[in-house]
Amino acid sequence: MKPDIEKLLEKYYEGETTLDEEKELRQFFQQETIPAHLLEHAAPFRYFAEARTQHPSATFNNRLVDKLTAPEPRPIRSLTTWFMRLAASLALLIVGFSGGRFYDQWRSDQQRTQQTVSSGDAMPTLEMKKVLAFEQHPKTSASERIQAVNQSYELSQADRDITQLLINTLNFDANVNVRLAACQALTRFENEPGVREALIQSLTIQTDANVQLTLIDALVAIKEKRAVNEIQRLAQNQEVLDVVRQKAQEGLNNLVQGGKSPS
Amino acid sequence: MDLQAFKQRILPVQGRLFRLAQLFLRNREEAEDALQDVLLRLWTNRQQLDTYHSVEALAVQMTKNLCLDRLKSPAHQKMANDAGLKEFEAEGVSPYRQVELADSAGLIRRLVEDLPTQQKLILHLRDVEEYSFEEIEQVTGLSINNIRVILSRARLRLRESYVKANNYEAGH
Repeated sequence: MKPDIEKLLEKYYEGETTLDEEKELRQFFQQETIPAHLLEHAAPFRYFAEARTQHPSATFNNRLVDKLTAPEPRPIRSLTTWFMRLAASLALLIVGFSGGRFYDQWRSDQQRTQQTVSSGDAMPTLEMKKVLAFEQHPKTSASERIQAVNQSYELSQADRDITQLLINTLNFDANVNVRLAACQALTRFENEPGVREALIQSLTIQTDANVQLTLIDALVAIKEKRAVNEIQRLAQNQEVLDVVRQKAQEGLNNLVQGGKSPS
Repeated sequence: MDLQAFKQRILPVQGRLFRLAQLFLRNREEAEDALQDVLLRLWTNRQQLDTYHSVEALAVQMTKNLCLDRLKSPAHQKMANDAGLKEFEAEGVSPYRQVELADSAGLIRRLVEDLPTQQKLILHLRDVEEYSFEEIEQVTGLSINNIRVILSRARLRLRESYVKANNYEAGH
């Protein structure tokens, strides 16, 4: 054993030993009793064996794990900041677009509700009122007003506002054609309160032959007996045209006969 | 690579890296600090670890370089100067010195630490960590023949200085 060790030591100091041989040497020098002449070689091998057992302290691993887990969000955070920027810009865009869209929708909704509040066919009513409003007359053309009056045909039902508007138009519009149109429009609403009376009354106001003729026709058509007096007055009035007087007479006859025959 | 896998891979090497760091820095706390640094660097580069031939060789190299860098850093030099002063005082025959000499393992450690860097590294890797020549070659980049020569010199020098120190002690 001893010469073996000496040979190995020689090789060892030349750097020629294998790992196994070095292990053998270390084991040899771990013994309690070592020959005196080899004692001076023992210390390094004992040191090597002892040094191998050195390890970081127990708390080191805990600290390390803390460090490893703690900075972990760092790379992720850098990623998220980059990602966040993109997400934020996208979110802003989306918010902007959707905001605009919602506003648009909200506005059109409001418009629609405003329209639907008054009635189902508010659109023509509104326009009509706008065009036929008395103070608008100087600004609107006759054809525009006729068109507005004709819009009343789109209404299934007329309220007081509409009939009043038409009556006003009939009585006070400057243009004959507009008045005619209003008259014709009004005959559609003969059942509305005040329309018949307005037509009768209008007969006294109107001076234009065309309108008078149309009114007489209308009154005869709706068989309004209360108009008899007015028509009679018209038939006897010397200031009106012959045609009108004839028409009035004719209408008078029709009304009186029409009133008699059914009864 | 998650934390668990990382630990599984690095934990067996951790002791080695620590001992290496301790060899260079001669101080337990500093060695732990350096080791932590190395492991953190490995952790942050964990995605690329698989591309390396040997993670252990890489880690040993990193530890060695980091320790040498630290030894060069001004902060450490100041500390070493303080320590050197203490050593210098201990050069005389002080009770402290005597106690340390009596502890031969402590003496050997000091003697190993006093070896030139390359000898120290190779001696440590070979005799303490039982690296094969191929593994040492991977870490140091030296040829095997070169490593043998350096190793032989380190061993001889270690014995020489040990015998010298022992005789010195015996003389007193």
